[in-house]
Amino acid sequence: MKNLMINDFKRLFKSLILWTVIVGGLALLMLLLFPAFEDIYADLEALLEGYPQGFLEAFGLGEDGLIMEDIYGWFGVEGYLFVLLIGSVYAGLLGGSILSKEEDDQTIEFLLTRPITRSQIYGAKLGVIGINLVLLNSVVAIVLGVTFAAFDTMNWTVWALYSVAPLILHLIFASVSLLISVFVTKSRTVTSIALGLVVGLYVLDIISALTDSAENLKYITPYEYVNAITIVNEGRLEPLYMAISAGIIVTALLAGWAFYRKKDIAA
Amino acid sequence: MIELNGLTKYYRKNVPGMVDVSLSIEKGEIFGFIGPNGAGKSTTVRTLLNLIYPTSGSATINGKDIVNDAKWIRKHVGYIPSEVHFYASMDVQSFLDFSGRFFDVEFKTRQQELVELFDLDVSRKIEALSFGNKKKVAIVAALQHQPDVLILDEPTSGLDPLHQQAFFDVLLKEKKRGTTIFFSSHILSEVEKICDRVGVIKEGKLIQVSPIETLRKSTVKRVRATVQEPFESRSKHIKDLSVDGAHVSFVYTGPVKQLLKVLEAQTLQDVTIEDPSLEEIFMHVYERSAA
Repeated sequence: MKNLMINDFKRLFKSLILWTVIVGGLALLMLLLFPAFEDIYADLEALLEGYPQGFLEAFGLGEDGLIMEDIYGWFGVEGYLFVLLIGSVYAGLLGGSILSKEEDDQTIEFLLTRPITRSQIYGAKLGVIGINLVLLNSVVAIVLGVTFAAFDTMNWTVWALYSVAPLILHLIFASVSLLISVFVTKSRTVTSIALGLVVGLYVLDIISALTDSAENLKYITPYEYVNAITIVNEGRLEPLYMAISAGIIVTALLAGWAFYRKKDIAA
Repeated sequence: MIELNGLTKYYRKNVPGMVDVSLSIEKGEIFGFIGPNGAGKSTTVRTLLNLIYPTSGSATINGKDIVNDAKWIRKHVGYIPSEVHFYASMDVQSFLDFSGRFFDVEFKTRQQELVELFDLDVSRKIEALSFGNKKKVAIVAALQHQPDVLILDEPTSGLDPLHQQAFFDVLLKEKKRGTTIFFSSHILSEVEKICDRVGVIKEGKLIQVSPIETLRKSTVKRVRATVQEPFESRSKHIKDLSVDGAHVSFVYTGPVKQLLKVLEAQTLQDVTIEDPSLEEIFMHVYERSAA
């Protein structure tokens, strides 16, 4: 199992570096723009007043929303989304391909004729997903920590929440994609479904924020679970959402494992 | 030792891959498993390796159940797939080491021997290898950890005759060591060279198992004759009759005495009666079971 994990980690290391640079770099870039906007914040606020309330809410602004004059609020509006969205694209692609690629390339036949159980293969793949997502988010956390400390007094709670929340979202997308990939093993199809899920649910999140009648949609879009407003203004993550997140992750992983153990590996 | 008890696999309802196959292969035996493409050879092999689950029936390898003890079996089995799919971006050396490390046994010495025997360039990437060279990598990967049982699915396809011979020599040495070998193939002549017994599978059913000698001793004869007058016989034992002017050729499946009577009735100029190839014997096995 260790042998397989090391091999997979090495194989996927380049793509991990690439995605980490993109996600961490975008977060850093948006944070570095903060001082420039801080000076013109008054003008910006005047401009934003012209927009309807619902529209502002969709971006975490408006009444009870984030205050962009504050670095934590600024990041919630301008950088956090990239970490969530682009990180989730990576998580979806990784979760959707790591197991199914073996079947698509038919290397699974090789693996399953070594002394290793299917559970061990599934476990090794899951381990690599976990390690890679933690590594990516750790780099982002370091970037956040350093820039927050440089621009403002350090708010450790908000920093910790900003660091952990995206990981939770990424784990949701990775585990759901992994489950899907147990059934759909064609690489191209799996990655399309994973991408569709990541982007589609984000669109749903916007719709739920824009229209009051569709407000209940927020329970099915995981972006809402890790909302920046709760993090910055309340200094916490909603326990109900955390319970739902844990439920989704655990259910998807267990279901994936149960089916993977018993499925026929196609020739 | 390999035992199959009524092993059955339906891919879907009414899509049988393998139906009620029972078979027992002794330790140190080379068993040829013969059938045309799509007859169920790979289904059988893939079920034995637990890549797919049997619908009913069971099988054991060295006494261990193929489903419940799959990991134990994989540790003791070497498998050569008919189509080789390995990690394309790895070089041969790191791939072979990656494969060997799964087994918790020393494998480098044997790996070295086999790499030399098959003239394998281990510095090349898997994706840059020809079909035959990939097959050699598969052979080394299957043999380097010295398994007790070998499951081979068309192992020689792509190999040049020289390395094919080298491979057969390796198999015979393995047999002497007590290795049980399950040799699936659609090429009879290679099975004929090396196997102790041969089983024939057709449409998922095992239709015949017999020692190689018995097959050879069967009364099926290939007859070639030159006749002066047109060849005429309505014997139902004459198969594959081809007439090319004065030259007549057919396979005779009946008693030899009657064959002589058939020939006596002709105006023979020349005749040869010989043992047919295994291929011809099996063709008639197939015909008989189809009838």
